[in-house]
Amino acid sequence: MARMKFLCDAERCIECNACVVACKNENSVPWGVNRRRVVVLDDGVPGEKSISVACMHCTDAPCAAVCPVDCFYTTEDGIVLHDKDLCIGCGYCFYACPFGAPQYPQKEAFGVRGKMDKCTFCAGGPPADNSDAEYKKYGRNRIAEGKLPLCAEFCSTKALLGGDGDMIADIYRKRVLKRGGRPQTWGWETAYKAS
Amino acid sequence: MKLIRKNSQASGAGSVSVGMPGEAIGRRAFLRRSGLTLGGTAVASMLPATMMRKAHAAEGYAPQAGVETVTRRSICTHCSVGCGVIAEVQNGVWTGQEPDFESPFNLGSHCAKGASVREHGIGERRLKYPTKLENGKWKRLSWDQAIDEIGDQMLKIREQSGPDSVYWLGSAKHSNEQSYLFRKFAAYWGTNNVDHQARICHSTTVAGVANTWGYGAMTNSYNDMHNCKAMIFVGSNPCEAHPVAMQHILRAKENGAKMIVVDPRFTRTSAHADLAVQIRPGTDVAIMWGMLWHIFENGWEDREYIRQRVYGMDEIRQEVAKWTPAETERVTGVPEETVKAAAKMMAENRPGTIVWCMGGTQHTIGNNNTRSYCVLQLALGNIGKSGGGANIFRGHDNVQGATDLGVLSHTLPGYYGLSAGSWGHWARVWETDLNWLKGRFDQAKVVGDGGKEVSPMNYKGIPVSRWVDGVNEDKNNIGQRDNIRCMVYMGHAVNSQSRGPEMKKAMEKLDLMVIIDPYPTHAAVMNDRTDGIYLLPASTQFETYGSVTASNRSIQWRDKVIEPVWESLPDQTILYKFAKKLGFADELFKNIKVDAGRDEPRVEDITREINRGMWTIGYTGQSPERLKAHAEHRATFNTTTLKAEGGPVDGDFYGMPWPSWGTPEMKHPGTPVLYDPSKPVAEGGLTFRARFGVERNGVNLLAEGSYSVGSEIRDGYPEFSDKVLKQLGWWDDLTDDEKKLAEGKNWKTDLSGGIQRVAIKHGCAPFGNAKARTVVWTFPDPVPIHREPLYTPRRDLLPQYATYEDRKRHYRLPTRYGSIQAQDFSKEYPLVYSSGRLVEYEGGGEEQRSNRWLAELQQDMFVEINPKDANDRGLQDGQMVWLSTPEGAKIKVMTMVTRRVAPGVVWCPFHFGGWFQGKDLKDKYPEGTAPYVRGEAANTAFTYGYDSVTQMQETKVTLCQIQAA
Amino acid sequence: MNTRGILAVALVTAAAGLSGCYEDADVTVHEPGKYKGAADPLLSQQASAREEALAKRFQIVQTDR
Repeated sequence: MARMKFLCDAERCIECNACVVACKNENSVPWGVNRRRVVVLDDGVPGEKSISVACMHCTDAPCAAVCPVDCFYTTEDGIVLHDKDLCIGCGYCFYACPFGAPQYPQKEAFGVRGKMDKCTFCAGGPPADNSDAEYKKYGRNRIAEGKLPLCAEFCSTKALLGGDGDMIADIYRKRVLKRGGRPQTWGWETAYKAS
Repeated sequence: MKLIRKNSQASGAGSVSVGMPGEAIGRRAFLRRSGLTLGGTAVASMLPATMMRKAHAAEGYAPQAGVETVTRRSICTHCSVGCGVIAEVQNGVWTGQEPDFESPFNLGSHCAKGASVREHGIGERRLKYPTKLENGKWKRLSWDQAIDEIGDQMLKIREQSGPDSVYWLGSAKHSNEQSYLFRKFAAYWGTNNVDHQARICHSTTVAGVANTWGYGAMTNSYNDMHNCKAMIFVGSNPCEAHPVAMQHILRAKENGAKMIVVDPRFTRTSAHADLAVQIRPGTDVAIMWGMLWHIFENGWEDREYIRQRVYGMDEIRQEVAKWTPAETERVTGVPEETVKAAAKMMAENRPGTIVWCMGGTQHTIGNNNTRSYCVLQLALGNIGKSGGGANIFRGHDNVQGATDLGVLSHTLPGYYGLSAGSWGHWARVWETDLNWLKGRFDQAKVVGDGGKEVSPMNYKGIPVSRWVDGVNEDKNNIGQRDNIRCMVYMGHAVNSQSRGPEMKKAMEKLDLMVIIDPYPTHAAVMNDRTDGIYLLPASTQFETYGSVTASNRSIQWRDKVIEPVWESLPDQTILYKFAKKLGFADELFKNIKVDAGRDEPRVEDITREINRGMWTIGYTGQSPERLKAHAEHRATFNTTTLKAEGGPVDGDFYGMPWPSWGTPEMKHPGTPVLYDPSKPVAEGGLTFRARFGVERNGVNLLAEGSYSVGSEIRDGYPEFSDKVLKQLGWWDDLTDDEKKLAEGKNWKTDLSGGIQRVAIKHGCAPFGNAKARTVVWTFPDPVPIHREPLYTPRRDLLPQYATYEDRKRHYRLPTRYGSIQAQDFSKEYPLVYSSGRLVEYEGGGEEQRSNRWLAELQQDMFVEINPKDANDRGLQDGQMVWLSTPEGAKIKVMTMVTRRVAPGVVWCPFHFGGWFQGKDLKDKYPEGTAPYVRGEAANTAFTYGYDSVTQMQETKVTLCQIQAA
Repeated sequence: MNTRGILAVALVTAAAGLSGCYEDADVTVHEPGKYKGAADPLLSQQASAREEALAKRFQIVQTDR
């Protein structure tokens, strides 16, 4: 059974931000909310590395475990989604998330949080697939169209891999074999527990 | 470690428009302050406590359920890689982008800019209507009224001061057809005062490289880099400037290729390299000769290759002998072991390629730099080989095409030049009476660059880098009748030009400014005029169609994605309207159909006219029909060789990289690797061009014992003409019709294409088979030598490495060198000031800073400064500072303290605009058109300095001082 | 007693107090990980039904050709 995962190959990531913009474009994510971002280590000195980070769609997602209104669900192929109608914007999931994925649009002044927003693996949310309602709240549902997240599909160097975990691991293993060095499946140990 | 958001207030270095929240995650904020937060508290409070409003614009452009979606294909407009764009359109609205997996260039990928192109079609900050500045207020007017008013004023200026007083500044954002039409338009107006931004990006490359081996273009392709064993990047940072190229580069690296980056900064590309060589800015020739010193010392050069295919290497040896490891280190700052390691890496891993960009070209000795890169590759025997080559990455999406099609002040389309013969050739192609054309120009002769009298028609016009001086300089000192009085900026970012305060003065002196662009641009706001600026909304390339040439010389066809938005019009339509008003439309469009209802010329007709005239560089085989077939069957091309494997275009190379010799009927497949003799010319092989004669001082300039596969002449040979064909006994291979047109002509001027066809039939290159030359005897420095920049901190080097003497006239203008270098500014201005690119932005940045998805990622204009220099000045990271330069300009920017730059060097990105010397100009834009992000233009503070051959501006080295604001 | 202990005691006390005030037991009970939102059509579709399409798509995205 396929299990959807993300992997960012740090040897290939060039910090170009295509993934960030792809997400904005595809899901109409407003200014100030970033479902995906690129984080850099050792900027400007030898050893500089970058990684693209978003919701990793964890096994036994910690966000779901702490949600007081139980708005999270996981698809059969491992995509973690949530129902914004239920979400109360409490922010617990943000503190539970090891990747800092949940985002909260500021709805108005005085610091009131809006409903939580995060990467959907381009799989939308509860409303009918690719309905206007789904697009408005969650963005495009590419999974329902047989497509993969646009961030990974657009990645300039094919550093960001999104799809079935076994297929990703296979491609990544081949690359590591070819170029030497140790595999660094960043985030995988935290996100994905052996099934 | 916690990731902390960076505050960006209105007082920041850039400003974000009201209505948009102050801060998202500035990428730079991450870069500087973050490690990866495994613990995860995170990137967190990226939300400002200030007012926030949902970006509302997107809502009207959302894809609708149950509405038919059509798919259209275009090419990204942001750089020269040529990435395919797939657009989804519903009811004429651009609702989505999908990956173009079939494109052999990007295989579906995009960078941040490519991923954002849909915003151009739905963005709110576009210039919406023709607008003019009247009594300090922007006023909407109709197209007809605008063209009428502008045209009347132009005609008045023409009558009073002559046609050279109107300057036509074109663009690397034009399609090929628009570029060609623009150059032709300037010719019919009667001036050579026409140019575009290639002047300030790769003009020194084109001049240097064309004068070395024939053509001034990238020799191989991004895809061919898969075959490299070594890659050296000099002043090139593809991670930011050509991100999708990195896909090919990293594939090469994974195949085992070594990667060297030579740059004053430790760039994002350096981070991926095997060896990073950090030179002192402006010492490119020194580092090349330093590397060659080791190559010659160890006998690593390719002697047989040099004997057969290279002229003048002995003269190079003499110069290189001076560049001992000690001298190289003294000048460049790079220690011997690093220089030797780089030389060895290139020598031991062949074939290897060299890539260079604006870090190498934008210097007073830019032409020397580019030629020194060529010499390194010739010494190693790397040119004309797959996996080798000089892979010169061009900048804008069509800067190669606009250069090829002559949007330049010193040539007509196809690098024909401005001689009487060149005009004769094009007049024949245009079917226009040559005498009528002559009559369009100023008739009185003027004193030319060499001191001899010359007709304005045959005299190089003022280059874009110097239009400011064309306005400000005393008219008695310039090589034309009067000063420039009207500037037409069609797709141009003035903030890409140096000397901001001088430019402001020039703008205020002009009679008239006409800005034709999808956005108002920095030009509309940086001056204090109250009248006489017209803003005309142009469409983007997604709102029209035509062809575009990628850096590797492949030509791709764009479909129209959406109709022009608001009241914008495509460039060809705007040019037609002007030609009609100015009275030469019938002549200009003699062989181009114009849709009368829309005033829109038919693009395919223009392509075919290009095909009929561009024999020099083989833009003749790529008919619109063939180009469209390539677009349709792009999946059939191999992504390394670019050759179609089977299918309807079997055997062609993708986009028929020029030269695609002869007529379209000849079906030449294009030339994927220039000067590669391992293939027959008919199948894309080539030799070095015989461009510089056959002999010099008794030495043979033709190739010796080297020729392309299948050549019936098994040695060097000169270029082909009717006489050569007759001598060889091949004249009768021409048909009778061909003979009529070929008589008295050569491979460049024979409109039948017969001479080219017959030469290729016998396995020969139409342009001859010669040696590449390492010594360009027609240039100021025949052997490339190092000269210090005009503003240098190393006064100790001046006795040996001084700049040129001042020149009285160069491209119509006095040009200063020595008189500037004579003054010592290094005490008051001790820091070297350099500039470069950010991945989210391009050029002057108006498009991207007006694109909400990109603008959010890069909100502040900043200066990179080493911790040492910051500490010496008591400066903190993220603090506002004044950066001032010796000619009196100053800009207010935010510090970014980083080791990316060496001590003594500071660096700014050059994409910002909308501020001028400390002032945000937001209120000066027409309502609703101010870019989301504005900031000081780096070039406002850049100083005087121009290349000795092309007038390329020096924007990589000057001096500055920085102090807290 | 550590902070966590104090907190636990306080919560229990509060809960007891509240339960004393209300007769109605019909409250939302937090059950970690048990989804309470609307049904997503993706959930009713067997993941295996889209597995092949997505695998094919992955090949297209990642194949260097």
